[in-house]
Amino acid sequence: MIARTLLLIAGLVAIAGCSAPPSDARYTQPALPDAATFRPVAQLLDVSCGSLDCHGTVARNLRLYGSAGLRWSSTDRPFVPLCDTTAEVDQDYESVVGLEPAAMSAVVSSGGANPDELTMVRKARGVESHKGGQIWTQGDDSDTCLVAWLSGHANSEACASGIASVLLGASTNPLLQCLAQP
Amino acid sequence: MSRSPARTLPALFALLALAACDPVRNDAIASLGPEAPGVRRGPLHRPGQPCLLCHDGAIGDPQRFTIAGTVFETLGDKVAAVGVDVILVDSKTSITLRTNAAGNFYTTASQYDPSFPIQVSIQGGAGEVVRMQTLVEGNGTVEPNGACASCHFDPPGQNSPGHVCMALDDGGTPP
Repeated sequence: MIARTLLLIAGLVAIAGCSAPPSDARYTQPALPDAATFRPVAQLLDVSCGSLDCHGTVARNLRLYGSAGLRWSSTDRPFVPLCDTTAEVDQDYESVVGLEPAAMSAVVSSGGANPDELTMVRKARGVESHKGGQIWTQGDDSDTCLVAWLSGHANSEACASGIASVLLGASTNPLLQCLAQP
Repeated sequence: MSRSPARTLPALFALLALAACDPVRNDAIASLGPEAPGVRRGPLHRPGQPCLLCHDGAIGDPQRFTIAGTVFETLGDKVAAVGVDVILVDSKTSITLRTNAAGNFYTTASQYDPSFPIQVSIQGGAGEVVRMQTLVEGNGTVEPNGACASCHFDPPGQNSPGHVCMALDDGGTPP
């Protein structure tokens, strides 16, 4: 009797195992923010969040590549070349949209109605515990840069103002040259 | 109800032992290697290494530093920049530290307890100034990031600008 029961259980387990999703299955995000208008947002994230001791390290979630921190190419180094490369912007986009795929889809498909569903928005605003502390305030230029992009109405002017507000020696910082890059 | 020392002490020792067991940190310290021949442990030792790995204030470790590092003359060599001022500014205060004969500088919590982020600039004897373009956020993954060398390590590469220096090899200003 016990042997038959064990056999039955083993069979059920085997069936359950076979019915699992294939190992290469991926969640397909039904809605994604616009990659074409992401560069100013990537530049903001680079200077605000992507330094080598923060998200510009392979040890942390939301890994960010950029001029002021971790470089994507093994032949580049911080500030050389001066501006974020296209590959770095692309990698940052993948980091941002892949952090919370379902929540990101919900925010984007709602036109950015509730951006604080995203952990990165809450942490940057300081309303959720964040080792780096509060990065910006809800409604300021940096916050507007990110939220506007999520809503589908990218605001590069807000991004530029946000970037300038965190660069040291704002009027002379060489990274300002990168804002003009398409 | 009073606790028996015989029971409390072993528990304390066990906690201490657990606190000392951080394999990541231990590996990082081991990777620094031994002291350089002829250099005693002290203010001149281990220039260019991440000071706060050991100077963390843990029981049995040397005294805690809050900010510490080494300044070299150029990116391509390891010649100490002696007697340059390292100026640290945060939202509450500022402090100026001077490098010693090894290029090392350091401060303890009683001298300066930083409110991260901090802005760092270095002023040489001739008045030349090198300023970091980014803020030091203090979010080290292995140790607190008051150790300059935790990010400024050699060789320069995609995850490091190289050691802290006064000038690039071509005479330019470090970014």
